[in-house]
Amino acid sequence: MSEASSNPTRRTLNIGAAVLSWVVPGSGYAMLGDPRRGLLAGAGVLGLFLLGILIGGVDVVDRTEDRLWFFAQAGAGPVAWVADYANSELLKSGRVGELLEVPRGDPRAPVYPKVSSLKGVSHLNEFGTLYCAMAGLMNVVVVLDVLGRREERTA
Amino acid sequence: MSSPLGLLAYLPFLEPVPGLGRVWMLLLPPLAFGISMIYKAMRVPNLDRYWRSVGVMTVQVVLGMAGLALMLGLLVQVVVPLLPAE
Repeated sequence: MSEASSNPTRRTLNIGAAVLSWVVPGSGYAMLGDPRRGLLAGAGVLGLFLLGILIGGVDVVDRTEDRLWFFAQAGAGPVAWVADYANSELLKSGRVGELLEVPRGDPRAPVYPKVSSLKGVSHLNEFGTLYCAMAGLMNVVVVLDVLGRREERTA
Repeated sequence: MSSPLGLLAYLPFLEPVPGLGRVWMLLLPPLAFGISMIYKAMRVPNLDRYWRSVGVMTVQVVLGMAGLALMLGLLVQVVVPLLPAE
């Protein structure tokens, strides 16, 4: 008899399932024997994240320009780094769209780096950023839930 | 960019959806739905009632946001102008 089963009130931390749930949202529940719950949670997290990128363009995930937002978005897992990489490689490099000069009203103002013509602005950029950030924050809650959840299997 | 020609040039996932900015408030219900999906996946003990509780929570969130917006609108448009200027 293991130590955990001898003391029914003691709860163990599912560290492996929690880490897995961060890497692939929802998969931690499947590891704990509840795949349907994992599928629903994972579809919610990844659905929100992809919808955010669809609404505002891949520019809504930016590790350097929107660092604080990225902290929240990173909760959705490696998909946030993939989106940031795509933003850098496709938009910021000018490989897709074109790079435009930032107009300077004052000649003494600093010269800013060129920006992509596909860079999102206004409400759509805000909503896209918010969708991805909410996906990340909710996945953090999922990870914490998986961490303290009892296993469904009756082994 | 929301002209028919602009729609043809639209690159999904690389640039914002053309024309959606004018109806940005419609983006609130899908956000509430997504959050409800994730939250209820964690909280509902029996998943047979899952979609019903997701729908209820989505409506609650949207109505709550609309109520807050209405209250703030009344405060700014009606109450604040009634206050003495000095």
